[in-house]
Amino acid sequence: MFKPREMQRTLIIGSKQELTHTIDLLHQLEVAHIVDYVQPEKEPIVQLGAPAQDASSLSQQLLKLRSSAQLLSIPPEQPPVSAKMSETQLQKNIDLRIQEIELSVLSLAEDKKRVEDHLKKLDERIHQITPFSDIDIPLEQYQGYDHLKVFTGYVTEIKKLEHELPTITDEYELFLSKTTPGIMALFITKFQADAALKLLSETGYNEIKLPEGNGLPSQFLEKWTTQRQELSEKLQQITTELEEYKKRHIEFIIASEEYLSIKVQKAEAPVRFATTIHSFLIDCWIPTESLQHVKETLEKETNGSLYIESFEAAHEDEPPTMLENPKPVKRFEYLLDLYSIPNYRDIDPSIILSLIFPLFFGLMIGDIGYGICLIIVGYIFMKKLKDSEAFANIGWYIIIAGIFSSIFGLFLFGDMFGLAFQSAAAEAEASSWSSILHVTIPIPSVIHKMEALGLTELLIISIIAGSLHIGLGLLFGFISERKEHKKHAIGKIGLIFVLAAIALLIFVMADWTIGQWLKPLKTTALAPFLWNYLIPSLKAGFVLGDLVIPYVSILLVGIGLGIILGTIGGFGLVEVLEITSHLMSYTRLAAICVAKGAMAFAFNMISFTLIFNENPNAILGIVIAIMGVIVIVFLQLIVFALGSLSSGIQAVRLHYVEFFMKFYKGEGIKFTPFRYQRKYTSTE
Amino acid sequence: MALEAGMIAIGAGIAMGAAALATAWAQKTIGAAAVGAAAENDKMFGRGLIYMVLPETIVLFGLVIAFLLIQKIV
Repeated sequence: MFKPREMQRTLIIGSKQELTHTIDLLHQLEVAHIVDYVQPEKEPIVQLGAPAQDASSLSQQLLKLRSSAQLLSIPPEQPPVSAKMSETQLQKNIDLRIQEIELSVLSLAEDKKRVEDHLKKLDERIHQITPFSDIDIPLEQYQGYDHLKVFTGYVTEIKKLEHELPTITDEYELFLSKTTPGIMALFITKFQADAALKLLSETGYNEIKLPEGNGLPSQFLEKWTTQRQELSEKLQQITTELEEYKKRHIEFIIASEEYLSIKVQKAEAPVRFATTIHSFLIDCWIPTESLQHVKETLEKETNGSLYIESFEAAHEDEPPTMLENPKPVKRFEYLLDLYSIPNYRDIDPSIILSLIFPLFFGLMIGDIGYGICLIIVGYIFMKKLKDSEAFANIGWYIIIAGIFSSIFGLFLFGDMFGLAFQSAAAEAEASSWSSILHVTIPIPSVIHKMEALGLTELLIISIIAGSLHIGLGLLFGFISERKEHKKHAIGKIGLIFVLAAIALLIFVMADWTIGQWLKPLKTTALAPFLWNYLIPSLKAGFVLGDLVIPYVSILLVGIGLGIILGTIGGFGLVEVLEITSHLMSYTRLAAICVAKGAMAFAFNMISFTLIFNENPNAILGIVIAIMGVIVIVFLQLIVFALGSLSSGIQAVRLHYVEFFMKFYKGEGIKFTPFRYQRKYTSTE
Repeated sequence: MALEAGMIAIGAGIAMGAAALATAWAQKTIGAAAVGAAAENDKMFGRGLIYMVLPETIVLFGLVIAFLLIQKIV
C-alpha cells in the first residue's frame, strides 16, 4: 500500500517465427510494460524490428474507417456497448464492408456538400435581389450602356439624395423601392458619374451588386425561392439518409475501429523490439507477482521455444510505477500525478493524502452548512462530469472534504453557514441560530472562531497538525533514503528532534490553552504522572523576557543539531530554518478557517439588518426583507465559492510543499502495459 | 494605556498588511510565469502551483506576528 508494485526486468528472446505468436500472447496477458529498444550508433547486428507485413494495409483501412466515421460525425469516444461484437464475426468481409461504407458515405457526403454549396449561392442571390423585386426593371436593363452609369444599392439619407441630384444634372432617373426604404437604382449620364458617386458617398451609399440575367427581379425571386425550397428538401433528405446510414452501421464502425486499432498495435509492436536476422528480443517490466504466470503461459503456448530471463531492478534502472491502492484511495493518485508521477523507489503517499487532505480541507471550512453543500457539489461533479476523470476525482475529494467539514462544523465549531448554533457566553447578545429561531439548539461550539481564544486554540491545533504532518514526512524521508543515502536519512532524524523542540517551545508559550484541553485527564489514573512529573519537567526552562525556553527544547535542539552537523554538515542548517518556516506555514489552517468564518459572519450581519428590519411601513419592511434574503443568498455563495477554492488549494499546497518535499522525488514512469482496453469487441 | 494599545494595534495592522503586500507582489510575478509554463506544457501545472504558493508563507509570518502583538493589548 505504501510501495509501488514490485517489478522484474524481463527479457524474452526467441526465433522470428515465434514473433507474431509471442506478441499475441503478451497482448492477452496484459502485464508487460515494454521498454523501447534504442539502437546504439553503428550497431551492425542488433537492429530495430520492422513492422509486420500487413501493418501498412491495416493502417490504411483504419484511416479509411476513421474518415468515414468523421464524415458521419461519430465522435471517437463512444459509451461502451452492452453487446460486444466478436472478432470472428467482425473478421468476415471486413475489407469489403469498410470499402462499401467508405464509398457510400463519401458519395452521400459529396452530394450533401454539393447541395449545400448550391444553396449557399442561391441564398446569396436571393439576398441581393429581394430588395429590388418591387422595382419593375428587367435585370438585363441594369447593364450594357455606353453613355449611362448605373448605381444600385442602399442609401441612408434618401431625401438628401433626391434633393441634391438635380443640382448635378437633370439627365438621370432614380427608382426607389416601395417596400424596403433606402433601396434605390440610379441611372445617370456617364459624364456626371463621378459627381454622383461623391454625392452618394455623402448620403451613406452601400453598393448591392445585382446578379446577371434576363427578366424581372420579381420573376427571378419567385423562381429562385422555388429552387431553394427544392434544394432544402433535398438536403434534408440526404441528411436523413446519412443519419439512417449512421444508425445502421455505427455498431460495426466503432467495433471494427477497435478491432483494427488492436491489429495495428500488434503489427507495429516489433518496432519497439531489438531484432537480428533470425531472432528477436523483447525487453519489458513485469510485476513480480504476475511473472510466474507469464513465464508458464509463454513456455506452454510456444512449446518452450522462447528463452525468458528476469532480474531485479538494478540501481541505474528506472522501472515503471504501478500503485496499488483500494478504490477510494486510488482516486487520490490523480492528485499525486498532478504533482509528479511517483518514482518506483518512492513511498506511495496516496493513503496519507486521502486522509489528511480532506481533514485539512474540512478543518478550514469547518461548517456543517457548507459541508453539506460541498457534498452536493461533489456529487454533481461525479455524476455530471463523469466522462472527465479529473473532474470525477475532484468531485470525490470534495465529497470527502464535505463530510469532514460537516463533522468539524457539528462537533467542533457548532457552525452553520457562518452562524453559530449557540452564541458565545461572552457575547450572549450576538445572533446565533438559537436566537434567530427562538429555540435552544443543543449543539455547543467547542471552539468559537470569532473569539480571540478561538483563534489561539486554532493556531495551536494548526501547529500540532503541522508538527505531526512534517514529522511523518521526515519519517518517510528516513525510510526511503535509509538504504541509498544513509547520512541523509540520519539527518532527517536530527530534523525530527529539532521539530519536536520547536513544537514544544510553542506549546509552552500557549501553556494555558493546552492546559484547558488536558483538564479532562485530571480524573484519570494518568493524572499524577502528568501533573507531578511530565508537565513540570517539560515546562521547566529559563526565562528570556516574556518567553520561557524549556530545557527539554534546548536538549532536543542540541541533539538534533549534533546529528545534522555530523551527517549532512553545515548545509543542514538551512533545512533547520526550512523546518521552522514550514511549521509556521501550517498556521494557514487557522488563518483561513477564521478568515472565512469572519467573512461569512460579517455578510450575515449585513443581511440580517435588512431581513429583520423594523420599518414602520409593513409593505416596505417586507420588500426590504425580501431584498435581504436575495443579498444573503448571493453573499453566502461568494463565501462558499471563495472558501472552498482557497481551502482546497491550501490543503493541496500543505501536501505538495511542506509534506512532499521531505521525502517525495516523483518523475516516475507510469506503468503502461502492452494491451488494449476493449470496449466494443470481444475475442470470443 | 489607550495610546499604547492603539500603537500596538497599528503595528499589528502594518505587520499583516505589509506581509500581504509582499506576498502579493511575489505571487504576481511567479503566477504569470507559472501560467505561461502550464500553457506550454500541462505537466508543469503541479510544479507551477507549488512555485505559485511558496510566498504565501510570508503573509503567515505577518499573521503570527500580528497575533502575538494583539495579545499584548489584553
